[in-house]
Amino acid sequence: MAPVGSCSALLLFFILNIFYGFITALYFHIGETEKKCFIEEIPDETMIIGNYRTQLYDKHKEEYLPATQGLGMFVEVKDPDEKVIMSRQYGSEGRFTFTSHTPGEHQICLHSNSSKFSLFAGGMLRVHLDIQVGEHANNYAEIAAKDKLSELQLRVRQLVEQVDQIQKEQNYQRFREERFRQTSESTNQRVLWWSIVQTLILVAIGIWQMRHLKSFFEAKKLV
Amino acid sequence: MATVRLLTYVVSVLLVVVFERFSALAAFSQSLDSDFTFTLPAGRKECFYQTMKKDASLEIEYQVLDGAGLDVDFYISSPAGQILYSDHHKSDGMHTVETEDGDYMFCFDNTFSSVSEKLVFFELILDNMDGDDEPEDWKEYVHGTDVLDMKLEDIMDTINSVKSRLGKSSQIQTMLRAFEARDRNLQESNYDRVNFWSLVNLAVMMLVSGVQVYLVRSLFEDKRKICT
Repeated sequence: MAPVGSCSALLLFFILNIFYGFITALYFHIGETEKKCFIEEIPDETMIIGNYRTQLYDKHKEEYLPATQGLGMFVEVKDPDEKVIMSRQYGSEGRFTFTSHTPGEHQICLHSNSSKFSLFAGGMLRVHLDIQVGEHANNYAEIAAKDKLSELQLRVRQLVEQVDQIQKEQNYQRFREERFRQTSESTNQRVLWWSIVQTLILVAIGIWQMRHLKSFFEAKKLV
Repeated sequence: MATVRLLTYVVSVLLVVVFERFSALAAFSQSLDSDFTFTLPAGRKECFYQTMKKDASLEIEYQVLDGAGLDVDFYISSPAGQILYSDHHKSDGMHTVETEDGDYMFCFDNTFSSVSEKLVFFELILDNMDGDDEPEDWKEYVHGTDVLDMKLEDIMDTINSVKSRLGKSSQIQTMLRAFEARDRNLQESNYDRVNFWSLVNLAVMMLVSGVQVYLVRSLFEDKRKICT
């Protein structure tokens, strides 16, 4: 009797939470041909889920209403090597997912697919966006249903995922710091090396100039 | 007798449902946060909006990760249009706002720079968005004197506290990542600059020495021609 009640309550709660989380998402305005890009620096094998919702400004009612059916958004995702790993068009409301295979800066770009310039009517498109990274992208209702976990097990599973994510991020941080240290040391070395070489070149040029001019003047019988 | 049993059954299911709902709410939706990194082109201003409830709190933390002077103008304004905080040419900042109902707008302004684009990272931490739901109230509904129930309560409390601490660790990690990214970008631009200007220096030195020798020679050659 208790498991049935708790299962349905949990499911209801999760559905509410997903919906609720989306309602409080950040929003911004985007122009007709404008492209807005966001950069996510993530370790490898990390899943990213993005949810967006668009609204168009209605001049008559002077407020933002849900956009018409024809209006969609292009979502383009580039990996750290500037290679496009996802390029798809979604409707006025959409949800995109991708998993990173190389660690680094991934770029997520959004732009509208509107070709009729009159559609925006001089206004802007309001885009509500929410991007979940790594452990936050997990759908715990699904995991609970698939593995038949009780609530306690589910929570412990969530803690384990959270710790895994932190650990992955830390490993990636170590790798980035090493690259940072290499760049710093290389710059330092080059500055030192260049100063020495510059001094030697100046001295050599000075000697060459003197010798060349001396032989020139001797040839011209001035010395 | 049967109705009493049925009633007890219904009440206990209701209690479990309510208990689960509030405790789940307490654990999973206490604090919402999101972070974004974006490129702010030169001479542009980008604004973001966040819908807030009354008596919640909004904490915004931003950093400039890349781009010439590593600075940007920032301001945050209330739903009524009043500017709450305003930063001028800062490279990082953090502000907390006790919110009212409405849409808060915060903007990053790069109009003072006409050539360099900035890479800006910001993090929004929202607290108490459930508003009136008091997460501690569910304790009133739990009537169990069973030892197992109390142990479960302790376990739930421990799990909640671990979760919130891990959340905090995660936030600190994000912040450190932003600092490291900024320093690394700075160092890489130093590296590029050292390389470029060293080569320019070498080229200029060669050029100048050649020009000097040529000019001195040409002085004497002209005189020769005049003498004859």
